Amino acid sequence: MKKLILKSIVYVFLILLFIEASIRLFHLYTEDPPRFIDDLGVEKRVPGHTGYAVTGNRNQNYSKFNINKSGFNSYREYTPTANKFEIAIVGDSFIEGFHQDYFDSTGKKIENLIPNSEVYEYGYSGYDFANQMHLIDAYKNDFDLIDEIVIYLNYKDDLDRGIYEPNHDRIKMLSSTPFKIRDNIKILAYGLKIGIFEPLQKLISGKKSNEPKKIKENKEQEAIDLQKQKVKDLELLENFKSLIKQYGFDKSKTSLLLDSSKTSELFLDFCSDNNIDIIDFHKNFEDSKTSPTLIYDEHWNNHGRDIIAKTISDYIKAKRD
Amino acid sequence: MLFNSLQFLIFLPIVYVLYWFVFKKNLKYQNILVIIASYVFYGWWDWRFLFLILFSTILDFYLGQKIYKDRDNTKRARYWLWLSVFFNIGLLGFFKYYNFFVDSFIEMFLAMGYEMKSTWTLRIILPVGISFYTFQTMSYSFDIYYKKLKPTKDFAAFAAFVAFFPQLVAGPIERASNLLSQITTKRYFKYNQATDGLKLILWGFFKKLVIADSLAPIVDDIFANYGTYPASTLILGVCLFSFQLYGDFSGYSDIAIGTSKLFGIELLSNFRFPYFSRNIAEFWKRWHISLSNWFKYYLYIPLGGSKGSRLKSMRNVVIIFLVSGLWHGANWTFVFWGAVHSLMYIPVFLLNSNRKYLNTSIAENSLFPSLKEIVQVLITFLLVTFSYIFFRSLTITEAFNYISQITTDFRYEAYSHPMGYRMVDYYILIAIFIIYEYIIRKDERRPFNFKNPVVRFLIYALIIMSTLLFYDDGVNRSFIYFQF
Repeated sequence: MKKLILKSIVYVFLILLFIEASIRLFHLYTEDPPRFIDDLGVEKRVPGHTGYAVTGNRNQNYSKFNINKSGFNSYREYTPTANKFEIAIVGDSFIEGFHQDYFDSTGKKIENLIPNSEVYEYGYSGYDFANQMHLIDAYKNDFDLIDEIVIYLNYKDDLDRGIYEPNHDRIKMLSSTPFKIRDNIKILAYGLKIGIFEPLQKLISGKKSNEPKKIKENKEQEAIDLQKQKVKDLELLENFKSLIKQYGFDKSKTSLLLDSSKTSELFLDFCSDNNIDIIDFHKNFEDSKTSPTLIYDEHWNNHGRDIIAKTISDYIKAKRD
Repeated sequence: MLFNSLQFLIFLPIVYVLYWFVFKKNLKYQNILVIIASYVFYGWWDWRFLFLILFSTILDFYLGQKIYKDRDNTKRARYWLWLSVFFNIGLLGFFKYYNFFVDSFIEMFLAMGYEMKSTWTLRIILPVGISFYTFQTMSYSFDIYYKKLKPTKDFAAFAAFVAFFPQLVAGPIERASNLLSQITTKRYFKYNQATDGLKLILWGFFKKLVIADSLAPIVDDIFANYGTYPASTLILGVCLFSFQLYGDFSGYSDIAIGTSKLFGIELLSNFRFPYFSRNIAEFWKRWHISLSNWFKYYLYIPLGGSKGSRLKSMRNVVIIFLVSGLWHGANWTFVFWGAVHSLMYIPVFLLNSNRKYLNTSIAENSLFPSLKEIVQVLITFLLVTFSYIFFRSLTITEAFNYISQITTDFRYEAYSHPMGYRMVDYYILIAIFIIYEYIIRKDERRPFNFKNPVVRFLIYALIIMSTLLFYDDGVNRSFIYFQF
């Protein structure tokens, strides 16, 4: 019995080593460049990092990132001047674009469609509208020189707060020892990515998978949901108003990129009434014969980014004409 | 509790430690531990159905004694035997087939123009593994009746035999002469037996998690949307289902046999590389062996087997396959699947080829198979795969529509994985699996029987690595045969 236990321990250890080596060799793990909050309270990536973001068990999506001197994933440095035509796209992971090679981003596609333009992608996973407005305000000198600002707004997720507060806790957590261990032991990083530890997490949290939820009668539930949504829409609109009041909103060069099918009528009406430009990509996505999003998650695939780039460039070209 | 669950990963070492360290010296306590562990294992799914197992256990323990007591009075012994069959089949009939027969009668009357309301159907939950443990307990009564076994007087040993957790919910269906005799005998820890068990568990997990679970979303997608796919995809779908089913069920059996070895108990083999069979008869000697043997000993032989006229023998073959089909599930698709197999078996039977490959395997004395063997294996595999269209479809109509779609939309189109994974990964995986199974084809109980420890280690490591590479947290991980 002793022999069995000892041999099993040795085998488990050696196999773990083998797997760790294989994961490193085939770069099956994903990299997450470190984050920080700069002196102006803007959350971004530590400049100068390059690496690969990987999706799926078997490198189904494998893309290179490059964090520029400004702390964002981009193929170019941001040097706005009065002479050039610059476009800033501000947004979350959709704009940060770790699911694509940094040299084939939405910004690059826009540059290809609008000659002599420079596109600056201020994308960061987890940014909401408060982050975006704070960033524009914090880098006011740069943004004053930029000719067009496009803010990507994911209505459902991006208007949950009306005041900006830098998330120091998240940065602290990501630089804590458990996270450092996770990042350095690739078998852990890989296992977490593919969800192998989920049963353990569920067991610890006491959650049962596929636990049936008690749902009220359909009609009654629909009425409750509708009422709740109305209250929520009002709240989201108030947050939006609060943020544009605090930071200002230059309507002459700022527009909101959004999917109108996922945005409330109330919000769209408010924008329309207040002459806030909207770049709506809903119809272009709907008309697309192939899926504009990745299969593994909801981010835009290459075709989706083509559509977004075309939608934005058409809007800007029309505006310049 | 599923073998491939975290709960089992915690449960098994606890039971193992208690078994070998705490209760090692006392056989009775060891058996009581097996009963408790087995009931926890089963009750994890639904504790209410433990009463069914207990009922079946008490009934057959008692009837076994009665049959033995009246062994010289054939009439009375037969009476007790029929009582055992009546109750066990009754349980099975009620929980598994009641609604099926009621619905079938209603449909039959509807076809004749009489409309009946479905007021007789009940909301019945099918207890997991009921087909397996009822057959196992019945085999005990049969063996005593046929004077091949003496009943045990040790109720704990008998209860452990009925509920032995490694094989409780999906077999192998053990005969009492094999399992009960081991349960009533003192077990000793043997290093080689334990390592063989661990290796079989690893191989079983590979078959289940990598082969079966990774193919499941593809098969589900193709069968759910068969109307939209061309012939090439539909053929691919049913071929992949062959591997999914084999990986799922033989994987379960390997884990069961391996787990059992850890407790010093040897279960019978349930699969012997069935896809290397050279005709349908050989396939049935290699596929779900414990069920085939059960039907052979307790139905086919009592019916007369192959001893009577050709016609009578053929009748017996057809009965076995139809009943075997029905055993799998309360659906005409399974009966049809059985019927298809009987049609494929009868020509082999008539040509006296059903015993031709009884004790040999493909490429028995050579490294590579002959061209004839390759053709035979391919034909057998295609025939078996064809029958799976009925096995996998939800209704007979659906199965025929699937076949019709293959014939009417006969063209090739590359298939894309529903989750966007590269299909070539799966083709490579299947190819490697077939080659590996071919290499180990002579001993299903030693999948890593290589002398070089480095080779063995590399295979273990690659198997675990491939489990990670093909792990999909969205897949339903329960075993296909649990529904039977």
